[in-house]
Amino acid sequence: MRKRPFSKDKDIKSFPTTIEQFKSILEKYLQNSTDISFTQYEVQGQKIAVFFIDYMVDKNLLDDKLLGTLLASKTDWDASSILNEVPLDGGKQHINLIELATTLLSGSVGVYVENEDQAVSFSISKLEKRPLGKAETESLVLGPQVSFTESLSTNLNVIRWRLGTHDLVTEKFIIGERGQSEVRLVYLKSLANDTDVQTMRQRLKDLVVDEVEDASVLSQYIEDNNSSLFPQYYLTELPDRLCYAVSKGRLGVLVDKSPTSIIAPSTFFSFFESTEDIYMRWNIGSFLRMLRFVAMFISFVVTPTYVACVTFHYEVIPTPLLASLGSSRAQVPFPPIIEAMLLELLIELLRESGARLPTKVGQTIGIVGGIVLGQAAVEAGLTSNVLIIVVASSSLASFTAPSYLMGSAIRVIRFPLILIAGLIGLIGVTLGLIFFFIHLIRMTSLGRPYLLPAYPVNWKDMDDSFFRLPFSLNNTRSTSFRPKDMNRYPKKKAKKKKDIDE
Amino acid sequence: MEVNNVVKPNLQIRAFYLFFIIVNIQTGLGILGAPRHIFQEAKQDGWMSVLICGVLMHLVVFAMLFILKKYESADLLGIQVDIFGTWIGKLLGTLYLVYIFATLLSSLINYIQIVQVFIYPQMPSWMLGSLLVILIVYTVSGGVRTAVGIAFVFFFLSFWLFFFLYKTVGYMELTSFRPILEASPRDLLLGSYQAGYSFIGIEILFFLYPFIEDKKKVALPAHLGVAMTTFLVLVVMIISIGYFSPTALEHMLWPVLTLFKVVEYPIIERFDLIVVTQWAMVIFPNFILFSWIITYGMKRLYGFTQRKTLLVVASLLLIGITFIKKQLLISTLLGSVSSAGFWIAFIYPLLLLPLVLIKKKFFSKKGNSE
Repeated sequence: MRKRPFSKDKDIKSFPTTIEQFKSILEKYLQNSTDISFTQYEVQGQKIAVFFIDYMVDKNLLDDKLLGTLLASKTDWDASSILNEVPLDGGKQHINLIELATTLLSGSVGVYVENEDQAVSFSISKLEKRPLGKAETESLVLGPQVSFTESLSTNLNVIRWRLGTHDLVTEKFIIGERGQSEVRLVYLKSLANDTDVQTMRQRLKDLVVDEVEDASVLSQYIEDNNSSLFPQYYLTELPDRLCYAVSKGRLGVLVDKSPTSIIAPSTFFSFFESTEDIYMRWNIGSFLRMLRFVAMFISFVVTPTYVACVTFHYEVIPTPLLASLGSSRAQVPFPPIIEAMLLELLIELLRESGARLPTKVGQTIGIVGGIVLGQAAVEAGLTSNVLIIVVASSSLASFTAPSYLMGSAIRVIRFPLILIAGLIGLIGVTLGLIFFFIHLIRMTSLGRPYLLPAYPVNWKDMDDSFFRLPFSLNNTRSTSFRPKDMNRYPKKKAKKKKDIDE
Repeated sequence: MEVNNVVKPNLQIRAFYLFFIIVNIQTGLGILGAPRHIFQEAKQDGWMSVLICGVLMHLVVFAMLFILKKYESADLLGIQVDIFGTWIGKLLGTLYLVYIFATLLSSLINYIQIVQVFIYPQMPSWMLGSLLVILIVYTVSGGVRTAVGIAFVFFFLSFWLFFFLYKTVGYMELTSFRPILEASPRDLLLGSYQAGYSFIGIEILFFLYPFIEDKKKVALPAHLGVAMTTFLVLVVMIISIGYFSPTALEHMLWPVLTLFKVVEYPIIERFDLIVVTQWAMVIFPNFILFSWIITYGMKRLYGFTQRKTLLVVASLLLIGITFIKKQLLISTLLGSVSSAGFWIAFIYPLLLLPLVLIKKKFFSKKGNSE
């Protein structure tokens, strides 16, 4: 097991002891916190101490069940009779005081009868959490709107609700040396690939960090290539998306205190899939999915190509277009690369400020910044009209990626591309794209190739990545992740057609 | 050195990738100038030369596969050692790798030259050269699967260029093909010899064979790949003969690039510039696969680590690109590489075949007598 920062040796006996001694050790261990409520009762001549952290426990349960039973009794108490007679579940016996004190931190109440050799704790924690809300970062038009919350038990509840099968495995890991977080690995036993499960289990077990702040941080600790710009695991706050992935044989990782979940392994193309594609009709879903690929391409290529053509290759632009470009650029004193960088930066500023500001102000700033600044920049002769269209469309296109992380990656990649286009022109853009493809081909996610199903090629899986087929033709799970069971439903039944007038 | 080279399963590739690899490695720079060279020999019957060359290529592939199938999982380097003994075998292997390096260097220089001629007359060679070499190092250090992936993915990313030749078809003159069969058989064969330059690269089969997962299925993709290349060269040849006047075609350095000049759209003029830049994606797999052959070959022959060889190759390439500048020198290099390619890539397998057969027969007889 992992090394803990303090020793919690279960074999060291701290009891029996007196209540005073007990109290002093406890208070010393918990840094003399004023939050500890330590009360001493006398029942039938026995001294009984009841102690807990004030705001971590459910007071109703404490008063009704625990104190009510304890104080009303006419018999002598010992550890086993307390466990037996107090109508609360989650009771535990402890022989070590430090171990007992640790359970208090997670919302237990401890009971100690003087001179007994065991203490008892009951878990009656009261955790503050927000109710399930609507998804904000990944908003959908169709389909379930509920999103994960920070509470792991709520999230697991939602997952169990959606995937109510005995097949669902939720393996528990405790990660963090100082601030400990519970991490759950979720998968379907009869589907998920054993190698993947083993790899993920190993990575989670081997992880030694002080604390895991969020699922997105955990995903960076366990990824394959940490110098890449691209996200290697899909992070989602949508339970339906996670459950869809899990039911196709992939793995989910949930982290306590984080409203995001990790889907692994993920491929490059899965970052352009939205669950909405499945809720839509197949042909419309296909159209939308392809639209996103086109958008990504536009976002990558358009600004660099503009910069390259205007700087080096006027001859590529047809004469009528060149004339209007020229008149638009006539006032601009900078070379195209500075002009483009300036505008791209402006757009990035708008996006960032819009994300940081409260929603209402953010919208206003977006409109004011976009329209007023853009218009003013053109009139002041700092940029050309055409470039504003180019930059705005490429920026707009980058927002179509359903994953915020992928959208950010695409926007960042544009900058080096623009730079190289401004330095050596179109050949630079091509070399940049070549680099981008090499990088994608070399990358892996949880040991599986990132560019699946394009390379290593998997013709059967094309329909799940680039477009969608009607359900009657799509009766298998995608083979890319090697699930144990391929068939979703019998093909014959799916393809069966009724006769006319039957 | 082991004759057979058994490769770990995680490095193996499926056989059908060979199709894309072969098409990609053959349609490098050779195809850009092919119509001119063929036309100089066979005139308007050049397309027949291409067909003859294609048929001969299938023979070569057949011979290569025949040799390879005699062994369990061997590459050329292992076979040479098996036949000629360790010393001569290793020497021949080294020479082969030197030839591959020369091909690599010549195609790099040639591409940089095309870019300089078409787009940036002022740009120093080392600039584009070093960018390309950096990309080569990055890719080859990803291993054989990355190299194959590049060949596969870039096939789809660059093949669309070919369809834009449809515009030139409308301008073709059918009279240019007449009179048919004016060229003598000798001219036709000389034309085929010239066409052979666009088929260089088939050597990859000798090196990639141990990496193929399902070795029984190799023949189909290999032959299809050669057929595809033949088809591409044939189409380009036919369009060039029909589109250009004979005198123009004879003096044009890269007729295929000129063909693209006529392609024009309301949003794009001078499509040939796009083609020249996009051609980086066409020839990049060549660079990668040739560099990979060198690094892996050196490991097989002498046990050098691939990383070290890769760095050495990269620096040699950079030196070559920077210092080979004179047009005469470049032409000599290109000429000697292509004529060496003819002998090494096409004639050598045919010579090797009887040797392998004799050796195997002798070997098996000896095995029986014991």
